[in-house]
Amino acid sequence: MTPGSERGVRLARDVEPILAVASKLAAPFDLQTMLTEVIDAAKQVLDAERASVWLYEAATDELMMKVATDMAAVRVPAGVGIAGSCARTREIINVPDCYADPRFNPEVDRKSGYRTRCMLTLPLIDHKDVLVGVLQVLNKRGGPFDRYDEALATAVAAQCAIALQRVRMTEALFEAEALRQEMEMARVVQQSTLPSTMPVLPGYDVYGTFRPASATGGDTFDLAHTEQGFLVVLGDATGHGLAPALSVTQMHAMLRTAFRLGADLDTAYWQLNNQLAETLPDDRFITAFIGLLDASIHRLRFHSGGQAPILCYRPASQDFSRRKPTSFPLAAMSLPAPRQAVKFDFDAGDILVLLSDGIYEYHNAQGEQFGEQRVEDLVRAHHDKPMAELSALLLQAVRDFAQGAPQEDDMTVVLVKRDAVRAAHQSFERRIDSLQQIFEFTAASFARLGIDRDHLHAIDFTVEELFTNMVKYSRMSSAAVRLDLARIEGGVEATLTDYDVERFDPTETPDANVTLPIEQRTPGGLGLHLIRRLVDSIEYHYLPETRQSRITFRKTAGTARPHEGPTGTRENDAED
Amino acid sequence: MLKIELGAGGAVEIVGRLDAAQSPAVQAFLDKVQGTVTVDCSKLEYISSAGLGVLLKTQKRLLGSGGKLRLVGVTRHLQDILEYSGFDQIFEIVPNG
Repeated sequence: MTPGSERGVRLARDVEPILAVASKLAAPFDLQTMLTEVIDAAKQVLDAERASVWLYEAATDELMMKVATDMAAVRVPAGVGIAGSCARTREIINVPDCYADPRFNPEVDRKSGYRTRCMLTLPLIDHKDVLVGVLQVLNKRGGPFDRYDEALATAVAAQCAIALQRVRMTEALFEAEALRQEMEMARVVQQSTLPSTMPVLPGYDVYGTFRPASATGGDTFDLAHTEQGFLVVLGDATGHGLAPALSVTQMHAMLRTAFRLGADLDTAYWQLNNQLAETLPDDRFITAFIGLLDASIHRLRFHSGGQAPILCYRPASQDFSRRKPTSFPLAAMSLPAPRQAVKFDFDAGDILVLLSDGIYEYHNAQGEQFGEQRVEDLVRAHHDKPMAELSALLLQAVRDFAQGAPQEDDMTVVLVKRDAVRAAHQSFERRIDSLQQIFEFTAASFARLGIDRDHLHAIDFTVEELFTNMVKYSRMSSAAVRLDLARIEGGVEATLTDYDVERFDPTETPDANVTLPIEQRTPGGLGLHLIRRLVDSIEYHYLPETRQSRITFRKTAGTARPHEGPTGTRENDAED
Repeated sequence: MLKIELGAGGAVEIVGRLDAAQSPAVQAFLDKVQGTVTVDCSKLEYISSAGLGVLLKTQKRLLGSGGKLRLVGVTRHLQDILEYSGFDQIFEIVPNG
């Protein structure tokens, strides 16, 4: 047999185990099994007593042996020892007599009682030329490894490298998935503590909603009845990963428990802060607004640990009042004693606007922030709408602004609105001098009820005409005249009630003829003529049993103005 | 409150709200003016039909002696009232601004 044909026989003999290796290496999905397969394959193909695999860790530039037959795990810096050298140079190292090679460390043998004679060390490099680790094969039966073994080992190593890398990447994916699932679980817990339906608070419209970011965030909110009052909470924990979700969930639970146990607001806040300061890691904190609303006196008492801005929209002035945080964020440090809560009194129509910074700081693609101004403009424009709708409009505005830029932080909205007063009334003495008081009342009521001031002149004019009529024609009565004003869609409705009087329907009086030449014109009858044009509708009702005369009229934005189109002027020839 | 006085350029200035309670005072003032009189309405915040009656009565008196009232600085509210009442055909009106 020629040397060539002998090699052919050897190749034929060895191709089989290499192919077997290939199919075996395709199966495992976990690293441990894969390493065992690789080691067995190397031993079998190269007819060696032992084999071991070092895994390369790029982050630390170290080799780590996870498993080796009868050997404990060890770490070696790349470049150190035979395996380290192989990792650094990425070249095969064939040592025929280990104890004659200065790079060999006999310490390992001394510990294990095993005697290493010869050793073949190969780099494990995957198909993308990434170093996966180092394969060492020890003690070939029947002598040192030859060039042919080197070639054979290289073939096995290439397959092992790819298989190992595949398993490592799969495991990394699994780990990421496991982390993602854990995160998801924490987020579910975080969300499960939030109110699922809005509590009903008579005289108020309260709404809260939470939009989690996909990755990380730690917002919470609460709107709940407690024995101490109506609880209003917005919290935002710092940090990444699971921590913030867990922190706010903890805070949420602690607060509910504190109030359930009867703690007052100041003590609850104090204890909550100190407890969190003890338990949270030093670099973490929670910004939180925690308030208790006494709806019977419309007073909100609150603490705000770094939660800002605290905005309150006041429809009377169509402006916002701002409150500063009362303290540093929760858990930033301990508070030696409880502090006193800050008070805020709700006027009718006032809206407390609490938003997490995920809204204010939402960036669009240009890096611009959503900011406070947009929030204010939106609340001002839609303060009349139900709070659920205002919240939806706000989140929609953020989405529109973002133009597809991803949400990086949780977004939470908490809105507390005291119902707007829609009606007001006052009674006035039956004399012309009351007019000034009446006008003061109408002006003040327009502001308070949020009625468009454009309608004020028409209302004043109409009220004056009807009121002076009552003064003039119902002299027998001494009862005061009552004026009711109510805000209606697009305008105002007014009712004048005259008590203890005979029936007199001023709407039945004929129109003045405004086309007469001046010498025939008189002021009489003009008032009713003008009223009919200034207001949308005017109705008269008489209640004989109580002798009440009641005139109701409405003025809305729809009333035509003379220079803006048809006036609806009812021309007739009736004399005054 | 309401104020009526002779302004610097000889125009009568009515400032404030001319309602039924205030019209007797305004009538008393206007009863004394003669000839062609300019009334500055730019600060007249409000006028009721009683106020219109005062203006009408004065206009009738002045027209009888060859004079008249000119209303200048007429605000939107006043303009509406004057048009609705047909007074825009009786008075010379100069709108505000």
